Amino acid sequence: MIKKLLIANRGEIVSRIIRTCKDMGISTVAVYSEPDKNMPYLDIADNSVLIGQANPLESYLNIEALINAAIKTKSDAIHPGYGFLSERGTFAKAVEKAGLIWVGPSSETLKKISSKSYCRHIANKVNVPVIPGTLKPISDSDAILTYGKKHGWPLFLKLDKGGGGKGIEIIKNEREIKEAFKRAISIGKMAFGSSDCYIERLIKNPRHIEIQFIADKKGKCICLGERECSLQRRCQKIIEEAPFTDITEQERQTLFERTKRIVREIGYTGAGTIENLRDADGNFYFMEINARLQVEHPITEFVTGTDIVKWQLSIAAGEKLDCEQKDIKIKGHSIEARVYAENPKTFIPSPGSISFISLPKNDKNIRIDHALKKNLNIPPYYDPLLAKVISYGTNRAEATRLLIAALQNCRIKGIETTIPVNLAILNHPDYLAGKIDTKFIDKILNH
Amino acid sequence: MEKSINAIMPGLCARVVVAEGDKISKSQEIAVINCMKTEISVPSEYNGVVKKIISKEWDELQVGDPMIIIETAE
Repeated sequence: MIKKLLIANRGEIVSRIIRTCKDMGISTVAVYSEPDKNMPYLDIADNSVLIGQANPLESYLNIEALINAAIKTKSDAIHPGYGFLSERGTFAKAVEKAGLIWVGPSSETLKKISSKSYCRHIANKVNVPVIPGTLKPISDSDAILTYGKKHGWPLFLKLDKGGGGKGIEIIKNEREIKEAFKRAISIGKMAFGSSDCYIERLIKNPRHIEIQFIADKKGKCICLGERECSLQRRCQKIIEEAPFTDITEQERQTLFERTKRIVREIGYTGAGTIENLRDADGNFYFMEINARLQVEHPITEFVTGTDIVKWQLSIAAGEKLDCEQKDIKIKGHSIEARVYAENPKTFIPSPGSISFISLPKNDKNIRIDHALKKNLNIPPYYDPLLAKVISYGTNRAEATRLLIAALQNCRIKGIETTIPVNLAILNHPDYLAGKIDTKFIDKILNH
Repeated sequence: MEKSINAIMPGLCARVVVAEGDKISKSQEIAVINCMKTEISVPSEYNGVVKKIISKEWDELQVGDPMIIIETAE
C-alpha cells in the first residue's frame, strides 16, 4: 500500500485527491509555485513543497523539481492529477526510475498512446469503429487533397499528439488546405513537439459520449458507465452528465465491450476514459483515449457510488480490483457544471483576488470540488477552472433543479465567473428536453 | 519618439510576432499573451519601427509591463 503520496498538480484536484488519501490513511504532499503559496490545501496536506516560479516550465512541468520534492519528503508515490504532466510518458518514466509508484498507466503505455493515430489503429485492429479518416499520420498537404477529393468536404485535420482542442483545423474546401496544414504544423511543433497530423471526416451533430473504465495489473477491467460531454465551447467541456439519456442498455454493453477490447490490446492499467462520438443516426465511433483521471470524474462517482481515486491508488500499489462488472449499478442522474474565471459574455479570462466567497455545503445531492477561499489570488498563469459544482438526483430533471439551486447560491466576488453561462444552459428549454450537441453553446450564446 | 507597447492582460508571453527593425502600423498585432490558457492579441498603439524586443516566450507579465519599444513616426 502507498504510505505517502505527492500530488504533482494544483487547484481543485489537489483537494480532491487529499480527501481520498485521508480516508485511506495515506499521508499527502502538496507542491506549489510561488503565486500559489496561499492555496488552502497547503494547510491540509501533511507536507508542502515550493517547487518553482509561476512559469509552469519551472514548477508544475518541472520533472526534476517534482521528483526531488518526492524524495525530500520521503514520498513513495506520485499522483499527476490531470493536465500538466499527467499523460507525459517521460514523467512516468522518471517516477519509475526514482523507485516511486506512478499512479497511472505505465510510461511505456503512455508513450505509445500519446499518438492518436496509434490509438485509432489499435481500435480498428480490435474491430471498434473509429471516426472515418486516416489511420496513419499524413506526410504532406497532397494527402489531404487526395482524401478530400475521394470522400468530400469538410474534414478535420487533427494533431497526432494534440490535446485540449488545440490545433484542430476544419477544412471546408481545396483552397483551405495549404493554410490549415501550415497552421496545424506550427501549433503542433510549438505546443506538442510533434507536427504529425491525421484526417477525420466530419460527424454531423455529434454527441460526445465517453466511457470511464478502470483496469488492474492482473488483466481485469470494468466500466463505470458513460458520461455525456457534448456541451463545449472552444472544444472545452462546460457541462457534463451521467448517464447519457439517449442510450439503450444494449448500446451501453456494446460500448463496454469495445472499451475492454481496446484496454486489453494496449495493456492499459489504472483509470482511463475512452471518448466516442455518436452521430445523428445513433452510430458510435471511437475518438481517443484519455490516460488520466478526468475533470468530470465526480459525476461517475455519484451515479455508481464509487471513489475512482481510491481505485487508482490501490491499483497503482498492485492490488486487484475488488469488484466485478455486475456489481456496478448506475443509479440516478448527476450533472457537473464547470465554473471558470472568465467574463460570462466574452469568455475573456478574469484573474484576480477573491474578495468574498460563499458556497453551498456539500451533502448527499451536492458536491463542490474547489480550492478557493477569501482573499485567494487567482493567478493568470494557469487554467481558468475555479470550481466544479456537481448535483445528484433520482432523475435528470431533479439533478438539473438541484444544480441550478446550488449555482444560484454560489457567491464569488472580486473576479468574474461563468456561473451565468451555466445557468443559461441549464434553464434553456432545449437543454431540459435533452436536445443538445457540441454546437449548442455557440447557438444559445449567439441568440 | 520612443514608445513602449505594454501588456494589456496579465499572464505569460506566448510570443512576440514582430522583429527588431520591422515597420509596424497602428492596431497591428505585435505579440500574444497567454492568460489562463487563452491567447490574447496585443495590438500596437502607434505607427513606427520596432526598436527593441523586451518580452520573450514564457515571461511572466503584469498589466502595463513593456513588451516592445518602438520608434514612432511622429
